[in-house]
Amino acid sequence: MAKIQGTAWVAKTYVMSFDMIIQRFWTAPIDPVENSKWVMAGVDEAFNRENGFVDQGYTFIVAGHNFAGGGKSIEHCVTGLMGAGIKAVFATSFARLQFRNAINYGLPFVTCRDMNLHCATGDVLEYDPETGIIQNLSNGQTFQSLPQEPFVSEVAEAGGLLEFVKRKIADGTVAELR
Amino acid sequence: MGMTITEKIMAQNSGRDRVVPGQLVWTDVHTVMTMDYLGKQTFNKLHDLGVTDVFDKDRVICVSDHLVPPPTEQFATMLNQWREAVREHDITHFYDLGRQGIAHQIMVEQGHVLPGKISIGTDSHANTYGAVGAVGNAVGVTDAAVAMATGKAWFRVPESVKFVIKGEWQPWVMAKDLSLYIMGMMHWNGHLIYKSLELEGPAISALDMAGRMTLCNMTVDLGAKNGIIAPDEITAAYLAPVAKGSWSPLASDPDAHYDAIYEVDVTNVGPTLAMPDKLDDIVPVEKVVGRKFNKAFVGTCTNGRVEDFAMMAKILKGKQVHRSVNMLAVPASQTVYLESLKLGYIQTLIEAGVAIDTPSCAACAGIHTGVAGDGDVVLSAGNRNMKGRMGSKNAQIFLTSPAVVAVSAITGEITDPRTFSL
Repeated sequence: MAKIQGTAWVAKTYVMSFDMIIQRFWTAPIDPVENSKWVMAGVDEAFNRENGFVDQGYTFIVAGHNFAGGGKSIEHCVTGLMGAGIKAVFATSFARLQFRNAINYGLPFVTCRDMNLHCATGDVLEYDPETGIIQNLSNGQTFQSLPQEPFVSEVAEAGGLLEFVKRKIADGTVAELR
Repeated sequence: MGMTITEKIMAQNSGRDRVVPGQLVWTDVHTVMTMDYLGKQTFNKLHDLGVTDVFDKDRVICVSDHLVPPPTEQFATMLNQWREAVREHDITHFYDLGRQGIAHQIMVEQGHVLPGKISIGTDSHANTYGAVGAVGNAVGVTDAAVAMATGKAWFRVPESVKFVIKGEWQPWVMAKDLSLYIMGMMHWNGHLIYKSLELEGPAISALDMAGRMTLCNMTVDLGAKNGIIAPDEITAAYLAPVAKGSWSPLASDPDAHYDAIYEVDVTNVGPTLAMPDKLDDIVPVEKVVGRKFNKAFVGTCTNGRVEDFAMMAKILKGKQVHRSVNMLAVPASQTVYLESLKLGYIQTLIEAGVAIDTPSCAACAGIHTGVAGDGDVVLSAGNRNMKGRMGSKNAQIFLTSPAVVAVSAITGEITDPRTFSL
């Protein structure tokens, strides 16, 4: 996988799932472009307008503990970020529901401790998915993230969990999953 | 080295002798729950998979809880589409309006979750199922659809953390107070994220199933992957008339590994509240006594059970809700409603000036039935208090136990039940 370069938005406080997708969109159909229009609307007043987050053109999100916490199971948090052009999220820890959803959609949620303390919004980062190394090109700092599990990469390469399972059903190997 | 109960369940249900934390495994799923709110999306995903039949019609459980009875045309239409999808798949257990309840209550009280098995649901409080010694886990609609098609789900085996709860429960102190107390101990800063949270000790053994459900329910709000209590005689007695399937007792090995073991003496836990907006901003009731509020709410998958209605009725018997307070109580299921009716609790509450509504998630998710408006100060026995959770962002929500809500509803200000004479 090629290296990814782009600018980052750095969270100052907890980022909660119910702020990433505000209540009136919880039952909306899952569609990355549609979901991206109001993604992060409750996180920061600056994003609280149509395409408020998309228009910033960020490639990465950097956060502290419990990213996407608050316990919502809705998948729009992940599809909304994908529709907004986010290629990876780096955080000290992730809330488990959205961590799952991210794996199931193939968006890297990468565990990297305290990176939020050493990055600022607008910094240019370069992420190497092969090595897990993230460089902050704006301030010269380097971070080593936890490597991805092979299963996570397999699901991402298949284009998400549905495609992954669909292939297993098609080739008759779904019963072998264990 | 031995295994924790959660590790054992993941091993047994994935055909392995043992698993270790961090391992990714596909396990068999005993039951898959989906509800009106996300159910149609779940069935859509099933179709995207190219699958027409669910893996077992008896083990896909469908419940109407978030949107019933529908308050708007939009929700009524959503419900119609949902019902059509459920019927199309000929699902055996469909708890629709008339037989409804909050999904997590239904799953446990109707015996759809069993010790030693794994059940998943498309709503975050699926952690509740740990009360009977099951691994209960919330998932998104993609995972639920995959499980509906295959009877399987993938899991990362979690590290385990144990809470040993000792001491004696004090009068007027409920499982909810302990939940909030633990929230105050652990906060949201990572200690319990993705962990399996196991509860044991004499004060847990002394707890009825309703209290165990409350404790496991709120482990999701602590960031835990699951909360679990090993099955015992109380579990067995509860499940005997309802269990849909057989089960065997199991427990953690004495030499199982825990990332951390915490001890709490429940003797020191008093009535406890979460301050508005932040679930981990926890205070003992003494700190907020006298605070005025105008809405009181008891219900939800956290505190809408018969035992919660019993506590409210005990406090409100022969008393009146203060004129400055509107109090709403919503049973967690039709079974809870009927039982509370037979035991006289509903009549007591109505005579005290409490409004009762038909079972649903009600105002907890801010969707309908008692939502909060600008300027409201709500004293709630629900599970979440973030800005806007129950409606307006300009409302405040204190979380606490049904006992604190009921006592405070009489005085019109937050009151310590221990200082109140019946």
